[in-house]
Amino acid sequence: MLTTTHKHFKTIIMVATRSLNDKGWVLVGGSGLRLLRVVFLLSLWRMLLPETGEVSGMTRNAVLTYTLIAEVFAGQISVRTGLDGALWRGDIANRFLRPVGIYGQFIAEMLGTGLPNLILFSLPLFCLAPLLGVDPLPESALAGVLFLCSLILGIAIGAAFDFIFASFMVLLEQHVYALTQIRDAVSVLLSGAIIPLALMPWGIGDVLTFLPFASLASAPLRIYTGTGDPVFLIGLQVFWAVVLWPVAHWLWNANRERLVSHGG
Amino acid sequence: MKTLRKLIARWRVQAYLDFMWMTRDFRFFFINIVSDIILNLAGVTAVFLLAERFEGIGLWSRDQIIFMLGYAALVRGLLDMGFSYNVLHISRRIGRGQMDHVLVQPQPVWMGLLTEGFMPFSGSWSLLTGIGIWTWAIFQLDAVFPLYWWLMFFCNLASSCAIVLAFSYAWGSLAFWAPVAAEEISSRAVNFMFQLKSFPLDGLSVYVLASMLTVLPVGFVAWYPCRQLLGIAPASLWHTPLVAMGFSLIAWVLFKKGMQHYEQTGSQRYLGFGHRG
Repeated sequence: MLTTTHKHFKTIIMVATRSLNDKGWVLVGGSGLRLLRVVFLLSLWRMLLPETGEVSGMTRNAVLTYTLIAEVFAGQISVRTGLDGALWRGDIANRFLRPVGIYGQFIAEMLGTGLPNLILFSLPLFCLAPLLGVDPLPESALAGVLFLCSLILGIAIGAAFDFIFASFMVLLEQHVYALTQIRDAVSVLLSGAIIPLALMPWGIGDVLTFLPFASLASAPLRIYTGTGDPVFLIGLQVFWAVVLWPVAHWLWNANRERLVSHGG
Repeated sequence: MKTLRKLIARWRVQAYLDFMWMTRDFRFFFINIVSDIILNLAGVTAVFLLAERFEGIGLWSRDQIIFMLGYAALVRGLLDMGFSYNVLHISRRIGRGQMDHVLVQPQPVWMGLLTEGFMPFSGSWSLLTGIGIWTWAIFQLDAVFPLYWWLMFFCNLASSCAIVLAFSYAWGSLAFWAPVAAEEISSRAVNFMFQLKSFPLDGLSVYVLASMLTVLPVGFVAWYPCRQLLGIAPASLWHTPLVAMGFSLIAWVLFKKGMQHYEQTGSQRYLGFGHRG
């Protein structure tokens, strides 16, 4: 057990440091884009929402905090294990030869990939939030603790999604790029990562709340901002984690034997 | 005239190749269509939902916002259709040493780049989505536009595309000097423009807004030209075309400098099979 944990820890460190090699421009460009995106969204909310009072149960300050925290934890909210890339490049074959489980490998790599951004972008953004006119703190200390639990559950659900999508990629023998694009586009919108579900028109947010996508972003962010019932939201996340992981495991096991890779 | 004939002949060849590629497998064809449509729609949906929920955004009515989103989707669609195969993401070609593929052909570099990325079948779905959104907006606006307006609309649309291209080429030229580090810089630059293209910028502070209209010209992808075209801010309809000319000139100078450097050094990443090392 300890040896496996050590191996995963080493993987996290290796991937975190590797992702900085020769990627200076990418890191700077990516951070600039994320900063501007959050500035754009904040200005949009300031235009749309009144300074006082609530709209669909959310105050303007709560929405601003929601938006900022969504960007701070963007890497953890939109989980990517890198499985699609491994299928694309063909190096998935090497993963099967390593002396650690396939799920652990990808989850460790995912954590390692997100680490540099968390330290170099998210942490400074969180600290500089007051300069953007946003209170970055959770609604209460308890909300902060429950947010972390909810975030971990969201990551677990996101990783299950990744394996389910990868299984379909193998099953359909389709171009990784096309399916990844569909998955990214749909999940970002339906998860409430950009627009809080409560602020969507026609009441569609009420329906989306029950879908697993909402467990990725909306649930932890609502808990953080104190705009949702933590017991209900975490309960729903536990439900989806319990349902999706067996499905992901079964689909992956059923389809990985079909895998044919010709490299990238 | 002779040059135009050559261009059309090359576009025709590309169209044929694209058709053959697209129709080799129905499932592949179908998934490509669906992914392109979803991607282009998703890029504008967030702002649309907000406009619908709040019956407009700031000075913009809901229908004007839809017009802007349609315009933004058209810009993306045109670039997806006309400049695929990493012609838009030029730093990938430069960084991977693949400019040699363009240089060995018996045609000027500009002609190769203008025609090689043409994908009228596999790349048109994004454009069709844009046309759909934009047409819907035009009917919703219920206004009569004079001929001059239509001319300026197409002129501004072409200018917005030119600005995205110029921005990508200006940054992408860095790959001539730093092929590994800057290989993905054009895709980042384009991604930046496409991700932020749908936002109305009215609420931004003066400094951020000024930078969005100068060093990072994302405002010219849709927001600024649509403000002019819809009369939300009466100013000259020639601003966007003039800015496009300015950016194109800067991109041309930088690309030319980069090509001169490339002609002396070549690429250390070029392999026999044309792939990156």
